[in-house]
Amino acid sequence: MYMRLQHKLTSLKGIFRTIFTIKSLKLRVGMGILLTLIAISFLEPIITHCRLGNINPYEMGLFEKLLPPSLKHPLGTDHYGRDFLSIFLIGLKNSLVVGFLGGSLSILIAIVVSFFAAYKGGLADIILNSFTNTFLVIPSWVILASVAVYTPKLNIITVSLLIAVFNWAGAARNLRSQVLSLKERAYVDLAKVSGASDIEIIFKELMPNVLPYIIVGAANAVIGSIFFETSIGIIGLGATQYVSLGIIIYWFLTMGLIVQGYYNIILPPVIALVLIFVALNLINVGLDEIFNPRLKKITGL
Amino acid sequence: MRTVLEVKDLRVYYKSIWGNYKSVDGVSFKVYENEVFSIAGESGCGKSTLVDGILRLIKPPGYIPSGEIIFEGVNLLKLPEEQLREIRFKKLAYIPQGAMNSLNPVIRIEEQMIDAILDHGDIDKDEARDLALCMLKEVGLPVEVAKMYPHELSGGMKQRVIIATAIALKPKLVIADEPTTALDVIVQKGILQLLKRLKEEYNMTVIVVSHDMAAHAQIADRIAIMYAGKIVEIGSIYDIFEDPLHPYTKGLISAVPSIGKEYVKGIPGLAPSPLNWPSGCRFHPRCNYAMDICSKIEPDLKEVKPGRWVACHLYGDRQ
Amino acid sequence: MNEFLLELKNVTKIFKVGGGLGLFSKEVIKAVDSISFSIPSDKPSIVALVGESGSGKTTIARIILGLLEPTSGEVLYRGRSVSNWLKEDKLKYYKEVQPVFQDPYSIYNPFYRIDRVLELVIKKFNLASSQEEARDLMIKAMKDLGLRPEDLLGRYPHQLSGGERQRFMLARILLIKPRLIVADEPVSMLDASLRAIFLDQLASLKDKLGASCLYITHDLNIASYIADRIIVLCHGKIVEDGSKEEVIRNPLHPYTKTLIDSIPIPDPRRRWKEPVDLTTLESFKKLKAEKGCIFSSRCPYAKEICKARMPTLTEVKPGRKVACFLYD
Repeated sequence: MYMRLQHKLTSLKGIFRTIFTIKSLKLRVGMGILLTLIAISFLEPIITHCRLGNINPYEMGLFEKLLPPSLKHPLGTDHYGRDFLSIFLIGLKNSLVVGFLGGSLSILIAIVVSFFAAYKGGLADIILNSFTNTFLVIPSWVILASVAVYTPKLNIITVSLLIAVFNWAGAARNLRSQVLSLKERAYVDLAKVSGASDIEIIFKELMPNVLPYIIVGAANAVIGSIFFETSIGIIGLGATQYVSLGIIIYWFLTMGLIVQGYYNIILPPVIALVLIFVALNLINVGLDEIFNPRLKKITGL
Repeated sequence: MRTVLEVKDLRVYYKSIWGNYKSVDGVSFKVYENEVFSIAGESGCGKSTLVDGILRLIKPPGYIPSGEIIFEGVNLLKLPEEQLREIRFKKLAYIPQGAMNSLNPVIRIEEQMIDAILDHGDIDKDEARDLALCMLKEVGLPVEVAKMYPHELSGGMKQRVIIATAIALKPKLVIADEPTTALDVIVQKGILQLLKRLKEEYNMTVIVVSHDMAAHAQIADRIAIMYAGKIVEIGSIYDIFEDPLHPYTKGLISAVPSIGKEYVKGIPGLAPSPLNWPSGCRFHPRCNYAMDICSKIEPDLKEVKPGRWVACHLYGDRQ
Repeated sequence: MNEFLLELKNVTKIFKVGGGLGLFSKEVIKAVDSISFSIPSDKPSIVALVGESGSGKTTIARIILGLLEPTSGEVLYRGRSVSNWLKEDKLKYYKEVQPVFQDPYSIYNPFYRIDRVLELVIKKFNLASSQEEARDLMIKAMKDLGLRPEDLLGRYPHQLSGGERQRFMLARILLIKPRLIVADEPVSMLDASLRAIFLDQLASLKDKLGASCLYITHDLNIASYIADRIIVLCHGKIVEDGSKEEVIRNPLHPYTKTLIDSIPIPDPRRRWKEPVDLTTLESFKKLKAEKGCIFSSRCPYAKEICKARMPTLTEVKPGRKVACFLYD
């Protein structure tokens, strides 16, 4: 069944069809939650525009500070006098963007490093493998946080890059061992004696069979990215040039909003974060269920 | 001749969402004391499942819907688990396929053997150790092997350790599933001869399950041919090789190349699937002698001559 | 026109054991030691390379196929070294030298349909100028082998049985039309009833394509059925080389004799007479003698000289070679 899945993934149409007929409930629920969150966060401009007209949601002092929830401001306003629903949705969007961007970049680095190392073997493998292992061992979070302090411009791109630089090693190790084992298969030998070049072998023979691991690695990378980004935000070392869920949490922690009971500000980012992690983990486990049939509950063979 | 094991109409099915896999579908045979009884067949015929069934090693989704397994007068299928444990290893030993590869790589040979012996025998640790060393000598292994780890031994040596462990408590019946697959030819000969010698020395009965007809020819006394979950022929090893009755047996014998043999012939067609056995005689789609009745009615395994059983309509009502 | 299709001259392959490119390990494995043999080009023939596990037979196959480089020695195909072929005329080399592998399960990339196996070679070797022509070629090759294109084309490997998969590989050979087929135990994972069909079809390629075949196996029964000539390998060295009839009926080397004695004959009236002495059979993993003749630790005829020096492969009769001090 897993083989059939891989064939469906060869075309874009196939990918969409597969996603919507996926048997794993966990995967469907996870993807549903995630897609909903993505959707509403990207619809933020429309939501803001409809409700409050053509304003810049970042502009401070537009409204009265710390207003309680009302029809005009469903989540009230924050301590800078901004509509909090807009700020929250922007933060949600940015958290997700950094997560996906950082995750994609890190899996890309992982793919390049692992494929090159595993396929070439020999000296290249030794060097790249040591490199990978080093990155695995260093306490990336600590270093990331420290680097974040000294980086002048922490915008979405730089943060994503920083995260990618520290997040790729785990996936790379995983992919490398997959490629190492797959390149010994007889069909790789057969491709060689049919005149296929190294590039052709990597992309046409190995890549499709490594795809499940890449997908799972990507899901993990995204989780890791969001975690990184949010956590440095929470401790205050986060971005200065954009809002994210971590940063919102930092605000209400440092502004004592909890003690003062501003639940309209506290609850949404926390709930959103919980939902994101639940969704991503459901996706992760769901993917595992699809790719690893032994986990599926089977009544027969 | 005393009967050591009698299997009556044993069935082993596996449940699945597509239906029942009828891997063993009504198998009956007898095994006599002190003989080497072979079960031959190609992949998918059910011979390994048959052995698992006899030893009650079938786990869900597999189940045994019917049948009797009479060992030393007791129906194994009706025994509770504790009594079954008493019989296993002490009276009924099993050498599974690929057993030599499932030795624990981090425990010394000696310890593994002693563990197995202590688990099933009522002797103390020192006696078990002596027994283990004695058995290693029996199978021709030097005593240094006891203190070694499995990866330090070759395939043939590991298999001999397995055999030594299996017969340590001098069981009455030993069932070996593909005991020589993956071993080199010279070692194969050694192992098969060893099995035969041990059988004589300890007055055991041996059942050998294998797809290798040549191996059977060398050590078996009687042989049963399995196809599509059923036994299609039983007879003495000489009869089967010199005068095979069932068309599948004939095909199998002529398919084995041998030094000096000019001509081998395969059996066209594909082995059927346990989900959907062909109607009537299961071999009829591939059979050169198929008649009308063959696709409609399944032939029973009948004793057409003393000691010769065939399930084929060609030998239907002749007596 | 070179007189030899394939020539191996003192080919040796040493593997270093241990990680780190073997830079940090001292242990080496000499998989293949100074192997020399040749396959003539005048008449197509089937040469069986017989050896047990660890004899180096698969290593030799991979070296000939260019998948492995020898540590020393030369492999010449039609007079030109294989490494030269691969550097300058790789595609031309593979148009003439092709493998048949052992495991019907791993020779197919599970991601693609089996058609791709044939389509890839048609494309790479430029065997057809259009899609229709390619399709026709594929169908014809399959029918030639008694396979039904309607049943098999368009399927995925997991939908075929092991026997079908191996036979489909022969269709690939038929398309390429190589001059040398290197078959590495192609039937060892097939059921007995399928082996005969496959072997006959492989042998028929000799006539259909005029191709020679190097058939690698551990099974002397099969070797005696299909081969014209038999080369016996033991622990990486050739111990005997001769025509099938000669080697089987009159084996010279003690290892060959032991091998032949150990084959299970599928005839209950011809059972083994001599028992194998288990205690000398294997003394731990190192069966190979450290010094001298590789078989000297197990040889019933071993003399002093056998333990001291390595015998060379010498021609005792035209076309008959053996490496043993008994015949010096």
